[in-house]
Amino acid sequence: MNFRTLTSSFALATLGLGALPGIGAAETFSLWVRSDGSEFMPPLVEAFNAMGEHEANLQIVPVDELVQRYAIASAGGSAPDALSLDLIYTPAFAEAGQLRDMTDFAQGLPYFDSLSPAHLSVGTVNDRIFGVPFSGDASFLLWNKDLYEQVGLDPEAGPTTWAEIADHASAISELGDETYGFYFSGNCGGCNIFTFAPLIWATGDSMLSEDGRTAMLDSDGTVAAIDFYRGMVNEGLVPAGSQTDSGANFFAAFANGNVGISPSGSFAIGALNNNYPDLNYGVAFLPGQDEGQFSSFAGGDNFVISAGTDDSKIPAIEAFIEFAYSLEGQQILVANGAVPVRSDLAEDVFEGLDERYLISAEAMANGRTPYTTVFNDIINSRNGPWITTLNRAFFAESEEEMMQAIEDGQAEMQAIIDAAY
Amino acid sequence: MTVTSTSTADHAPPTPRKPRRAGWHGLVYVLPALALVAVFFLVPLGMTVWMSLHDWPLLGNPRWIGLANYDRMWGDAGFWNAMRFTAHYTVVVTIGLLGVAMGLALMVQSQGRAIAFYRTIYFLPVVTGFASASLLWAWLSNVDAGLFSPAAQMLGMTDRRVNLLAHFDTAFWSVTVMVVWKMAGFYMVILMSGLQSIPSDYEEAARIDGASWFQRFRWITMPLIRQPFALALVLCVSGSMLAFDQFYIILNGGPRNQTVTAVYKIFNESFVSFRLGYGSALSVVLLVILMVLSAIQLCLLRDKGAAK
Amino acid sequence: MTAIDLQQAAPTARGGRISGHRILFHVTAVLVAAIFLVPLIWVTLASFRPTAVSMQPPIPPWPGDNATFENYIRLENFGQSILHYTANSAIVAIGTAALTVAVALLAGYGFSRFRFPFKPLAFILILSTIMIPFQSILTPLFLLLANLGLQNSLFGLILVYTTLQLPFSVFMMKNAFDSVPQEIEEAARIDGIKGMRLLWQVMVPLVLPGMVTSGLFAFLNAWNEFLAALVLLSDQDKFTLPVLMTAVRSGRYGAIDWGAVQAGVTVMMIPCLILFLILQRSYIRGLTAGAVK
Repeated sequence: MNFRTLTSSFALATLGLGALPGIGAAETFSLWVRSDGSEFMPPLVEAFNAMGEHEANLQIVPVDELVQRYAIASAGGSAPDALSLDLIYTPAFAEAGQLRDMTDFAQGLPYFDSLSPAHLSVGTVNDRIFGVPFSGDASFLLWNKDLYEQVGLDPEAGPTTWAEIADHASAISELGDETYGFYFSGNCGGCNIFTFAPLIWATGDSMLSEDGRTAMLDSDGTVAAIDFYRGMVNEGLVPAGSQTDSGANFFAAFANGNVGISPSGSFAIGALNNNYPDLNYGVAFLPGQDEGQFSSFAGGDNFVISAGTDDSKIPAIEAFIEFAYSLEGQQILVANGAVPVRSDLAEDVFEGLDERYLISAEAMANGRTPYTTVFNDIINSRNGPWITTLNRAFFAESEEEMMQAIEDGQAEMQAIIDAAY
Repeated sequence: MTVTSTSTADHAPPTPRKPRRAGWHGLVYVLPALALVAVFFLVPLGMTVWMSLHDWPLLGNPRWIGLANYDRMWGDAGFWNAMRFTAHYTVVVTIGLLGVAMGLALMVQSQGRAIAFYRTIYFLPVVTGFASASLLWAWLSNVDAGLFSPAAQMLGMTDRRVNLLAHFDTAFWSVTVMVVWKMAGFYMVILMSGLQSIPSDYEEAARIDGASWFQRFRWITMPLIRQPFALALVLCVSGSMLAFDQFYIILNGGPRNQTVTAVYKIFNESFVSFRLGYGSALSVVLLVILMVLSAIQLCLLRDKGAAK
Repeated sequence: MTAIDLQQAAPTARGGRISGHRILFHVTAVLVAAIFLVPLIWVTLASFRPTAVSMQPPIPPWPGDNATFENYIRLENFGQSILHYTANSAIVAIGTAALTVAVALLAGYGFSRFRFPFKPLAFILILSTIMIPFQSILTPLFLLLANLGLQNSLFGLILVYTTLQLPFSVFMMKNAFDSVPQEIEEAARIDGIKGMRLLWQVMVPLVLPGMVTSGLFAFLNAWNEFLAALVLLSDQDKFTLPVLMTAVRSGRYGAIDWGAVQAGVTVMMIPCLILFLILQRSYIRGLTAGAVK
């Protein structure tokens, strides 16, 4: 056992002497969430702590650092007791023996059968459950209704094809004065798997085969989607800052009100409604090239407990999970942008919320979740082939340059996959 | 002080160190330092070599793979790009930095209140850390909220804001200017210490003989400050070879991975991709390269010292 | 000892120059000084601008009548208040300085005044660590600290930083002791002052300048260090300022708060600048100890 556990057991023993029999000892546990959860997690934790029984000590970690920090902390014996972990990474940490087996707890929940099956399937390794569904996060488009109105577009009709996105963006860019039609984080792997990959999926193509073993950056759908973005960049519809934005402005660019259309996700609904109540925006599906096509990235978090977490803290952590699953908990989560993970409560949860929340939930239901063991290396890493290729290709000056970038990226991505299998 | 007043003549031993002061007693004083160096330096150093012979994931069990990690470097384009970029950066920054520092040193070598004031100002950025200087520069170079781009636009130098950090050339130069700005004062002081040790009559004599400023600099100043110059060179080269903070903070290794330095590559392998064994192998290689470079430069330093 | 001193005030002894040259010289020197100062002044002024304009270019940088501490206070949104992270940095920097001075004082005394087996080897061992960049041993250092329960601990960081400071400080302190005449010590010993008391009461006042220099370098290097802190600290509450500010700069809700970055940079820089201006002589002495020897 490590030093921390030892000291906490001592602390517990000392506390135990003074505690009254019959009353469960109040426990404090540490809890991490990635910054995408910075809207829904703090109010949830606050409500939980206000009940006065146990205390969750929340820490928000920048989204592109969470996996790295959690792995390092686990190896160093200073992992948080529990965390809300990007569901894509649940299998990797479970296989490395870093997560606590939650099978008995999960299956004991009366509403176990209505928990999000997509979350549970990645949370299950060798028939044991290592992560339970916590929050859903789907990707879609945001459009600024006020800007639409200013340029004479119908503010209630968001774009439904790539061509419409480009047309609307072009009209809005005419406004000038640092107002742009379209914004995306051009140097952020995580942002683009979340918001750009669905454009490819909507065409029926992909940038990675179903089994995750074949890179498909050079597939027709991928090339077409890249060229679509490149066209908008070339026409000056995208602010110059996009090219170096490694996610830092993923949300802010649209929130500041001078961008017409931006791909985003469920978390943005919470963040916009809480912090920018005056921004008049709409939510639309991420479309394909043709009318009627759309897709989404069905992401979100599983709730996991570190393998090294002291047994004494488990009741407190389980109490927290059950609180999150209660109607009150689900309402807090949903009102702040998370897509609910308990289907049996959906009706009550969405009561009184506007249409945008429903679109977010529908996008989630129709979304895809790519899985590969080298996800971090090829997709999320700041220096991985996914984002290096996209960045080169989106901002390429010529078609040859774009194709060269794609060709190089395809080779590099395949090489990393081959090395791993 | 009380001690100095005591008369000691009759008791003073002939040799400063009595025999009883030899033995293990002195080791006690040195022990804390030795212990720290052993635990936090020698052990990790040995471990680096040991780990480099393993497939060593951050989580999970290491597996002996012999020299496979070293073999892998040959085919790792990322490694070669990092080495090439590091070398490129080292050459450019060393020339720029020592050039500017020499200019500054010549400016402020003489004495006087005003000059002392200039010296202090030129030195100020040195004491700020690389991390704070990098954050500062990340802001100044930002296309929207920064200083450089909007200022250039306002002055009419560009018609629209240029994203300095989006292209390799402008990004690289932005960082290089930052490093020169931050470190020039440091090398200025080292070079100045050499300039000030030149007897002033040398210069006077040459001037009377009609030597031009450049001739005096080339034939009197340069040869006489070779030693501090060589020291500055060694420090500058090894410092640049280990660059990390500025490329991590300002550029994230971009645009397009073109500014990933050797240390950045090691950091990525070990703490992003969690291939600790491969990261260690890269560390060993970097270490060897640095030792060889330093040795070459130290030889130069010694030769020049002897030549004097 | 070296003759270099940035503040050295001597009479301007360069007569016989044409004053046109001198004016040109001073104009150039002032312009260069402006280049060196502008970024420092700019960020300090901009940090007092109101939040509302922190996303606008800092032209001009001064906040006018709206000067505010908003940017400083808002850092609280990133976990703890700015004071908390400043305290973390201060603990690490002061702890490193204190431990470095203590360890180097003892070692310098031992190397200067005693003979013991393997002394040359031990001295070379400590000094040679300066040849090996710590970046190359960071990975095992991480595993080692994890095994000792010192990963993610400010104390662990202090131990690492102290080790990195030792070659310079031990060298510095050995030289400081070497320049103290042997007779002083002998005299004290005859007065019956021995062992640690001798070191503390008699020697320390004499090597104080060396201790100040060692401590100053240790403080500044620890205060500013980034890579090791980035790798060795995983809990945000333990972050030192450079690590925290890098996280702030990478954006939190998908938005960079440049005002908070400016505030953080100012907090990181000011103590270094003040310390340097106060202890300039000690600093330059340390810098040139290696250059002119």
